[in-house]
Amino acid sequence: MTIRFRMNSRIECIFFSEFHPTLGPKITYQVPEEYISRELFDTVQVYIITKPELQNKLITVTAMGKKLIGCPVCIEHKKYSRNALLFNLGLVCDAQTNTCALEPIVKKLSGYLTTLELESGFISKEESKHKLLPIMSTLLEELNATGACTLPIDESNTIHLKLIQLRKDPPIVQEYDVPVFTQCKDHFIKSQWDLTTQQILPYIDGFRHIQKISAEADVELNLVRIAVQNLLYYGVVTLVSIFQYSNVYCTTPKVQSLIDDKSIQEECLNYVTKQGHKRASLRDVFQLYCGLSPGTTVRDLCSRYSLQLQNVDERRLIQFGLMKSLIRRLQKYPVKVIRDERSRPPRLYTGCHSYDEICCKTGITYKELDERLENDSNIVICWK
Amino acid sequence: MTDNSCTVISSGSRGNKLLFRYPFQRVAEYPSSLTAKQRNPYALNTAGDGLEDQDGDSRYKLCLIFLLKRFSDIILSTILATKSDMCGKKFELKIDNVRFVGHPTLLQHPPVIQVSKTDPSPKREMPTMILFNVVFALRTNADPSVISCMHNLSRRIAIALQHEERRCQYLTREAKLMLAAQDEITTMTEMDGSPQSPFRQILPKCKLARDLKEAYDSLCTTGVVRLHINNWLEVSFCLPHKIHRIGSNYIPPEALERSLKAIRPYHALLLLESEKALLSQLPLDCSPAMVRLIKTSSAMKNLQQLAQDADLALLQIFQIAAHLVYWGKAIIIYPLCENNVYMLSPHANISLYSPLAEHFTQHFPGYDLPSMLAKFSLPVSLAEFRNPLEAPAQEAYLIQMVVWMLQHHLLIQLHTYVCLLVPPSEEEPGLRDEDLPLAARVGGRSLSTPSALSFGSPTSSDDMTLTSPSMDNSSAELLPGGDSPLNKRMTETLLASLSEHERQVILNIPAAQNPEDLRMFARLLHYFRGHHHLEEIMYNENMRRSQLKTLLDKFRSVLVVTNHEDPIISIFQSPME
Repeated sequence: MTIRFRMNSRIECIFFSEFHPTLGPKITYQVPEEYISRELFDTVQVYIITKPELQNKLITVTAMGKKLIGCPVCIEHKKYSRNALLFNLGLVCDAQTNTCALEPIVKKLSGYLTTLELESGFISKEESKHKLLPIMSTLLEELNATGACTLPIDESNTIHLKLIQLRKDPPIVQEYDVPVFTQCKDHFIKSQWDLTTQQILPYIDGFRHIQKISAEADVELNLVRIAVQNLLYYGVVTLVSIFQYSNVYCTTPKVQSLIDDKSIQEECLNYVTKQGHKRASLRDVFQLYCGLSPGTTVRDLCSRYSLQLQNVDERRLIQFGLMKSLIRRLQKYPVKVIRDERSRPPRLYTGCHSYDEICCKTGITYKELDERLENDSNIVICWK
Repeated sequence: MTDNSCTVISSGSRGNKLLFRYPFQRVAEYPSSLTAKQRNPYALNTAGDGLEDQDGDSRYKLCLIFLLKRFSDIILSTILATKSDMCGKKFELKIDNVRFVGHPTLLQHPPVIQVSKTDPSPKREMPTMILFNVVFALRTNADPSVISCMHNLSRRIAIALQHEERRCQYLTREAKLMLAAQDEITTMTEMDGSPQSPFRQILPKCKLARDLKEAYDSLCTTGVVRLHINNWLEVSFCLPHKIHRIGSNYIPPEALERSLKAIRPYHALLLLESEKALLSQLPLDCSPAMVRLIKTSSAMKNLQQLAQDADLALLQIFQIAAHLVYWGKAIIIYPLCENNVYMLSPHANISLYSPLAEHFTQHFPGYDLPSMLAKFSLPVSLAEFRNPLEAPAQEAYLIQMVVWMLQHHLLIQLHTYVCLLVPPSEEEPGLRDEDLPLAARVGGRSLSTPSALSFGSPTSSDDMTLTSPSMDNSSAELLPGGDSPLNKRMTETLLASLSEHERQVILNIPAAQNPEDLRMFARLLHYFRGHHHLEEIMYNENMRRSQLKTLLDKFRSVLVVTNHEDPIISIFQSPME
């Protein structure tokens, strides 16, 4: 699956700064020219060409509406005037930009230049130093355009850079969660993924839960959880709950987006229409979603709205509703409120574990659990 | 996510100096090979990175002490004492995993040394301070809004210090004490070789140091800071991310702001603490309007009524309410009444062993929280919950429980929303009619309060224009008198926004034959987009619930109805993820 690239952090300028033996800290090259003003550099130079303690650290300083990200390098050797070469290849962005994704790039660049200097005096020799300017131009252009850049420097060195978009930490995947593809499964390029993911792929159908996938694909449960969590991180799948006709759902305020937003409408109607049937009407679908409410099971919905369901696949209806947060599932939580002093404290009936979880962990069915608990007057059921 | 250390730097004729930092580097707790002078940049690097802190603040604080060991005091003073052109603005610097936020402030007039005639001691040369910077060091994965808030705090402290410096050289005096203590420790260390943190010695001698320590401690615990700089100027601040937490989620300040801008006069203010507790927390010089509001507010009174009862302008009520909400002292709800329908919030903590459960039993002896919460598994109206067969005192008790549950973010209120959706015609391809439902076509009628509440700065003058809902937002009053041509024309105009097919279907409904009903339907048409609940329609149009419900029933063949929470105020009960 191709992960679409989105450029959130535009690089405005790339600069190369060094400590000149007589002139002190200065900007030797910058692309585009004259981007960093004299004033700006004066203000921030202490963070660009730095004292020894700050060398080799990623430093981002914000001043005059700009953010400068650099990594000061110091190479000590007798051959240099003042016995050390100090330089810093950095990026400039607008102050509002989120620059976290650019930091590894800056660090890598400083590493590359250090290597080049140690191997062949790339920076200290004037003839090779000139090459920096076209290199910086190319970097600026390609990183902004595609977020990646591969640039050969000389016969033995090539720069490989890629902007990795940082994403939010994915939630923990439970054994009773159901992964469902957010986009068409056909777009998925199997070979790009690890072996575990490849093995469980055929079993991700938006209806099998993790425990089932683990059993049928013959992969250890925790491995499946981690693999799915990885897919979650990249936005390839999202999690919904197990589907049963006894499930209860209710609408969220987002359900109105089905009316307001044409693109969600289109997507929905395409998704929920039964294969080979006439396209479902918006009114029918909206009525179905609105028919979901606390106390109403999917089975009830099917009998009440049989007319509307002629062209609609109810399982996909629910799936779509959950994926887009148009509806949410109401889970049952048993709580043991009365118990005598001598009995053990409840382990599962504490209000922290839903029926889904209890059934998954203990292997009993919903019906059995219901029968057990209904007749127990010490237990109350909370739905939320 | 919270702040991690607090440092004051000053820059002047004697060069840059780190005056104070907190927490101190706990040098004594390290192996004897480490002294204050030694740097060990790789010490506990792995302990610093990868510590994924969820809510364990103590682990978090500890983490940062190790990280800061990489920066000696000298280097800190160099990097944090900025050039003068960076003054008066937000200062933000990130070094590896640490982010520094501050507000460097220039002291333009060098302090004039007052020499009293009776003071025989020779004039001592005071260091001339040119600029100072109160800096907070944070973890880099801090949300940008947290960084903004910390900058705000730094700026407030800076303003207070600048003021006191100009008035009585407060900062210079405190700086002198800090420097003296540092010199003392350096001499002591040189003599007997035992490493000590000079900053620890400063605390008992220097009020400013104690204030900064208090600010840090408060931020890490409650998120509310209240300082009195030089026992005179008050600096108050709250970190919304710490205050507005429901479970492990926090309400982002932008969401809070959006919500507050959308509240309406029919909403109510629910105080999260008792009146007495709240009043005792107010500063002595707080506005009397605030006191009046707190004393007159009630969960059953809407903001408009509150304005009348407290004898304040509605505008003021909105402002004070927003202020209380921002500081985590109140939330916005729909006023309590018989017909309110409540359900368990999806984020409610219903665990048997939660501190809430214990709290509840203390408050309402003989009842347990999970059992009461179970009653809200299905949506239940306040009238049903109250059970009129019980004694009135019992009823009041149950109402109190509902209020308690609302205060603790356990319940959401459900409202009914209506949407016009006409059955597609048989002849035309269904798509044409679905093309643009009414919601998309009837644009532009803004029915929300056009307020411009400025957020987070209670003293700023807000430019708020509030229109009285009964005038602008309700549709034009149609003249009574059935079938008059004027009325007919108005009804036609209102129905004009519909497509031909929609109009036909509506006019074919039996109820539409009654001109009164048709007129009322046409008048309310713009509410049927799924964004206005029944209570709002009732408030704006001055209608009774029974009237409205009858009408909706008559036209049910073209309307779709659903129940869910009001997205404007639902963030107080279930924060968006």
